[in-house]
Amino acid sequence: MSKELIRLRDLTMEFDGERILDGINLYFNDHEFLTLLGPSGCGKTTTLRIIGGFLKPTSGTVTFDGKVINDVPPYKRQINTVFQRYALFPHLDVYDNIAFGLKVAKLSKDEIDRRVNEMLEIVSLKGYENRRIDNLSGGQQQRVAIARALVNRPKVLLLDEPLAALDLRLRKDMQNELKRIQQAMGITFIYVTHDQEEALSMSDTVVVMDKGRIQQIGRPEDIYNEPKNAFVADFIGESNILDGVMLADYKVRFFGRTFECVDSGFAPNEPVDVVIRPEDIDIVPPSEGHLVGTVTSVTFKGLNYDIIVEFKGFKWLIQTTDFHAAGSTIGIRLNPEDIHIMHKSDYSGMFGDYSSYSAEYDELTEDAGDEEE
Amino acid sequence: MKKTNRIFTVLIFIFLYIPMAVLVLASFNTGKDITDFEGFTFQRYVELFQDEHLLKLLGNSLLISILASAIATVFGTVAAVGIHGLKPKMRKTVMTLTNIPMTNPDIVTGVSLSLLFVFVGTKMLGQRDSLTFWTLLIAHITFNLPYVILNVMPKLNQMDVSLTDAAMDLGCTPVPAFFRVTLHEILPGIVTGAIMAFTMSLDDFVISYFVSGLDFVTLPVEIYSYTKKPIQPRVYAMFTLLFALIFVLMLTMNLLQLRSDKNKTERRGKTITKGQRYFRRLAALVCLLALLAGTGYLAFGTRQEIITLNIYNWGQYIADGSDGSMEIVKAFEEKYPHIKVNYSTYDSNEIMYSKLSNGGITVDLIIPSDYMIARMIQEDMLLPLDFDNIPNYQYIDESFKNTAYDPENKYSVPYTWGTVGILYNTKYVDEADVTGWELLWNEKYAGKILMFGNSRDAFGIAQYLLGYDVNTTDRAELDACAEKLKEQKPVLQQYVMDEIFATMENEEAWIAPYYAGDCLVMMENNENLAFYLPEEQGFNLFIDAMCIPSCAQEKEAAELFINFLCDPEISAANMDWVGYATPISEAKQYLDPETVSDPVAYPGDETLVNGTNFTYLPEDISRYMESLFMEVRND
Repeated sequence: MSKELIRLRDLTMEFDGERILDGINLYFNDHEFLTLLGPSGCGKTTTLRIIGGFLKPTSGTVTFDGKVINDVPPYKRQINTVFQRYALFPHLDVYDNIAFGLKVAKLSKDEIDRRVNEMLEIVSLKGYENRRIDNLSGGQQQRVAIARALVNRPKVLLLDEPLAALDLRLRKDMQNELKRIQQAMGITFIYVTHDQEEALSMSDTVVVMDKGRIQQIGRPEDIYNEPKNAFVADFIGESNILDGVMLADYKVRFFGRTFECVDSGFAPNEPVDVVIRPEDIDIVPPSEGHLVGTVTSVTFKGLNYDIIVEFKGFKWLIQTTDFHAAGSTIGIRLNPEDIHIMHKSDYSGMFGDYSSYSAEYDELTEDAGDEEE
Repeated sequence: MKKTNRIFTVLIFIFLYIPMAVLVLASFNTGKDITDFEGFTFQRYVELFQDEHLLKLLGNSLLISILASAIATVFGTVAAVGIHGLKPKMRKTVMTLTNIPMTNPDIVTGVSLSLLFVFVGTKMLGQRDSLTFWTLLIAHITFNLPYVILNVMPKLNQMDVSLTDAAMDLGCTPVPAFFRVTLHEILPGIVTGAIMAFTMSLDDFVISYFVSGLDFVTLPVEIYSYTKKPIQPRVYAMFTLLFALIFVLMLTMNLLQLRSDKNKTERRGKTITKGQRYFRRLAALVCLLALLAGTGYLAFGTRQEIITLNIYNWGQYIADGSDGSMEIVKAFEEKYPHIKVNYSTYDSNEIMYSKLSNGGITVDLIIPSDYMIARMIQEDMLLPLDFDNIPNYQYIDESFKNTAYDPENKYSVPYTWGTVGILYNTKYVDEADVTGWELLWNEKYAGKILMFGNSRDAFGIAQYLLGYDVNTTDRAELDACAEKLKEQKPVLQQYVMDEIFATMENEEAWIAPYYAGDCLVMMENNENLAFYLPEEQGFNLFIDAMCIPSCAQEKEAAELFINFLCDPEISAANMDWVGYATPISEAKQYLDPETVSDPVAYPGDETLVNGTNFTYLPEDISRYMESLFMEVRND
């Protein structure tokens, strides 16, 4: 891409003896759309607030354009923020909200007027100048918040779960809108969310975090297709995760069978986690299957059915467009490219079993509630 | 259900506003008091605006309230922001600490502040007047602060914390961020806090009472000392105006809020509506005026080239220019331009005594009653007078010299005197029954008899009846008196002090013992009333006399003032308004001949011989008497 703009080195953060961030090392490139993704309490908002200057790290450094900015207060950073609940000023109208930063900077009236109008154009809010904030819809408030931040022409825009308060349709529209704005302005966006779909669809780079640590950094496709551990595999999409043994390169054994796979570079007979995405599984008549199991429940999801199938006491989630009634027996086939092998980690055994289907599938960590602190 | 709710709402409003309605009604009433509605008049308001004294008091009260609430609002808001920034646990502790003074009884706050001021002022700064305008202001700020904090805190808690972050994110340093954003968010809390503080200040009596000096007195403190005469109707007029002021203030604020909410949706760019802007200007103007008045007062108050004479007297106990009378203090100041009189008031001997013994104030002249003078002499609280400066002492009648309380005539010059007798209604009471104090025990008039609500006067009557010395220290005699008083209870309607005026004039009660001067006032209002002095049994002859306390700084000026009041012509003019008797016979020629010849107002010497003065009782005896009296009343 282009040059490095921000770097976090060995960042740790503690509140009242509780470790919120544990050795974060991360860099951000200019013009990049980077997303910090993770469940609540994972440290993503803390990281964002440290970059914004609202928090000082317990240890480690933040560099911006090569200079350490740990002690630079927010009002001196070339960074602006779009806050979780927008934090628009209720006593000011749309125009004055957007003009706020420019007025503080004491720009000329003409300049302010020109730039505010330009921003109104970009966020499609022309004609709303005199509206009071309370008379705007959620999506409009969102745009004002973005305009208010961008009008100052920051090098970096921080967005803290900006779409969390919007309904699904609006969220989709705003995702496209944000991407468009980012490309039009050509600046770095650092985006915080717990919504994996949002992260995958908008970002150039996704950083998956959990328990104050970075679990994986990569392009969205890589994160999805090559999760590094059970946490990532489970958090990004749905995964069946099984215990297996890597017999040799391209040969993995689980469920008492040996399967061909596309992974290599493991030690001989290394115990591993095997990830199989629910949508990759082909359902075949029982006689033709690698494995044969019984359907225990079926849920209609619109595009597909989610079916839970029991294989030898282990429950899998399978996504299929064909209906299979509960109680029926089916067979499945696994192609080598459907099988993804991961090293064992602290997260092994915690995810990937759909025995307690409903609780698991309701996305256990996904509440849009308050982040840490 | 809905209906009952509505009825309850109406009832509550009636309950809340009826007292105000009565006050408003009273302020337009031509009659003398609330029990007698005669007609409609604006006269009370005219009187009010001619009464410089009341207006000055009102000004004082407004000045202190505005200054104190303004300062407390600023400090309180800053404090609230500070407290809000603390960690939650600490914040809770601090909030509890700031709330305690609010729940603390006022009297405790008042006394402790007064002690502090006297200690710091007298002991550390070496001032002789440690209780001044400034201490009053500090005290008001102190008790106002928690109210402001209490109102601002919830607004800070409600505020989205990221608003401040947002302001800083957009380039504001912390202080401008506060003014540009936080202030707007918490403004409603600040305004409510300020208004609450203002009203708390305006009607505070207890704390002000303990911490104010004599140089600056607020309206409530003065009104409370009005016990020598019933409250004048013009005071009702003033209260009505005060109520109206507060009412209008609250109403406009609510209206402006409503209008600005509406306007904001319609108007471009201007975040402040016209109404709001006018209101703000008005508020700023009021604050500015208060500050100017404050500095003006201080500049004036600290001018030192003239002598300040501090007089401490009963409320409404000197002719003040109202009702066409002579304004004694002003006349004195005109005669002696180098002396400026600072006049303040108390409502009982005991309160005057405690205020003086607490220290922290300078008083040059007091007018206590006989028994209190005896006590103060005994406790070295009075200075011997220099009678060379009081040549008019020669006019004082011999019958008021060589008294029991000041046998050597060293410390006091009589101001007024009076007798205690029986007031009765000739319409209902048979003259044949009017034979002596036993009338107050007469079963024939059961339920129509009133009795003194204070121990000394009540026991005095029993003592006269039983033939004991009124200054006795014999506990057995006191026990006998208590028994006698218990005997009286079945026939009594109630124990009274000031309530006697209404009750006797309305003929709700027919017989009551009281001070002759006050009886005259009642007799004027109801011609069926008559006054009787039980000469054979004896009666109390009370004297209030002018004295100089030992904390006096301007003794000579005080003696000049005493001399001035002993001038027969002045005394006559003064007593004509006060309504009590002058101890100066020479003055009688200037008084209404009808009054002078009235045996109630001026009993002859042959009668006065039978009167006795109260003198000071030892502490344990007066306490014993007090406890006996409590027992009698609660029996």
